[in-house]
Amino acid sequence: MEIADAVIIGGGVIGTSIAYRLADICDKVVVVEKGEVGAQTSGSCDKAIILQSKKPGFPSKLAQASRAIYENLEDELGIPFEFKKAGGMIVIQSPEHLQFMKQFVEDQNKAGIDVKLLDRKEALEKQPCFSPHIVGSTYSREDAEVNPLLLSQAFAKASRQKGADIKTHTKVLDITCEHGRVKGVQTDKGYIATEWVINAAGPFAPAIAEMVGVELTIKPRRGVILITEKIKPIVHGNILCAQYIAAKHLTDNKGTEVPPFGIGLSLGQTKSGNLLIGGSREFVGFDKSINANILSSIAAHASQIVPSLKTVQIIRSMVGFRPYTGDGLPIIDKVPEVEGFLIAAGHEGDGIALAPITGYLVRELIERSGRHKELLEPLKLERFK
Amino acid sequence: MEEITVQDTIICRCEEVMLSEIINQLESGSETTKELKLKTRAGMGMCQGRTCRPLLEQAVSFHTSNAIPCVSDLTYNTPIRPLALGELARYGKDL
Ligand SMILES: Cc1cc2nc3c(=O)[nH]c(=O)nc-3n(C[C@H](O)[C@H](O)[C@H](O)COP(=O)(O)OP(=O)(O)OC[C@H]3O[C@@H](n4cnc5c(N)ncnc54)[C@H](O)[C@@H]3O)c2cc1C
Ligand code: FES
Repeated sequence: MEIADAVIIGGGVIGTSIAYRLADICDKVVVVEKGEVGAQTSGSCDKAIILQSKKPGFPSKLAQASRAIYENLEDELGIPFEFKKAGGMIVIQSPEHLQFMKQFVEDQNKAGIDVKLLDRKEALEKQPCFSPHIVGSTYSREDAEVNPLLLSQAFAKASRQKGADIKTHTKVLDITCEHGRVKGVQTDKGYIATEWVINAAGPFAPAIAEMVGVELTIKPRRGVILITEKIKPIVHGNILCAQYIAAKHLTDNKGTEVPPFGIGLSLGQTKSGNLLIGGSREFVGFDKSINANILSSIAAHASQIVPSLKTVQIIRSMVGFRPYTGDGLPIIDKVPEVEGFLIAAGHEGDGIALAPITGYLVRELIERSGRHKELLEPLKLERFK
Repeated sequence: MEEITVQDTIICRCEEVMLSEIINQLESGSETTKELKLKTRAGMGMCQGRTCRPLLEQAVSFHTSNAIPCVSDLTYNTPIRPLALGELARYGKDL
């Protein structure tokens, strides 16, 4: 029988980031991943680390803490993952959204986020690919990006170098408990005895929690992205649109409609030259089959903002399932009823941005050194009870 | 000019991935075409693996001694053929 100090379920960006930090305090860390490292949500997403769109207050504070770790992370891991401080913009298409965005930028500045409003001319200077019909945009130089595929691989490799065992193509079937305490994990390739089990299964976390009788309400929120052929660089940094952000915030008070399929622009270009054009937000379970209307709506919306996209060839689409908790924040907590069982899941559309801090927070839950209290408190499971 | 050894050959033309790179990954533990794709980009190019997929499957099968799967684990995603974004924006409904 195999024995481990900690077993992490899920080898996405969250599980591998946790493995890397736990390897510092545990002799034997095991990651159990049913498929390949980073092949689920963490391999079907955009590459943005965006600060300027976060709600001022705690979400923004958490994102800033994670962003600060990115600053030296490539050096620390010793493995490059295309981290780039390329900045980000939220493009404003309609005058109706201008007032809202003005207020938004003001609030962000008060929260200590470096973002400013640009008029049409300034926005076009920064991003010549924009349509001359836009009203303006925001710009923040704090926004950054990574290659998410390389990021999970880098965390996995660096964890291995610290002695962690990453078992791919191994599925967790059950978790055994005795007297309200975790005892071990049954996989399709054998049993692993352990005191700590960390549920880092992203959108699949509820099925894992059910194994110890805990109900988790994380839902898969589907996102679709179009991927183009490689072209010479035309997009600098990451671009979002005000339409979605305004709709999201305004629905709370004014009843403005969220666009069909929850479409809001997310546009960026990878180092290899492919454009990633997103994206939608829908609740359709784990259904991967996509209606052509979604693809055409994403394409139509993107080409209004960047007209030159019309002639670029789309080579494929990508479907991913954001782990949605309901309040835009992950759950990073110990489960009180089952000693030794931890949850680190539900990062929705920010898992890439929040992976670095998540590793530290899980380590703190085990180490109990008294650090990061103010970051862990709002991420507790009990807020959903 | 880069030197190409006699045994080495290109496996994925779109992403310029050499056989030696694929063998390297297989020898360091990769077991599936999906894993090779994530690590080397083989199959992620313009043709979306239509050219290199059979070669990748053969390489995996050779190294793992598993039979080539009937259903590939490299899936095709819509659109099946490259399509200009402008067309997609207009004709999406009839795809
Ligand atoms: C379209 C889209 C765009 C996005 N864009 C961004 C962005 O720009 N920036 C950003 O920060 N975030 C973005 N995200 C969000 C980000 O991708 C996710 O928050 C993040 O990838 C979640 O990582 P994870 O490790 O929790 O989940 P996953 O990557 O899904 O990992 C969970 C793993 O658990 C494994 N697993 C499940 N069940 C079992 C089992 N029984 N046994 C063993 N293993 C199991 C799965 O195989 C999987 O690999 C985007 C998401 C989508 C869908
Ligand atoms: S030859 Fe590999 S993607 Fe085209």
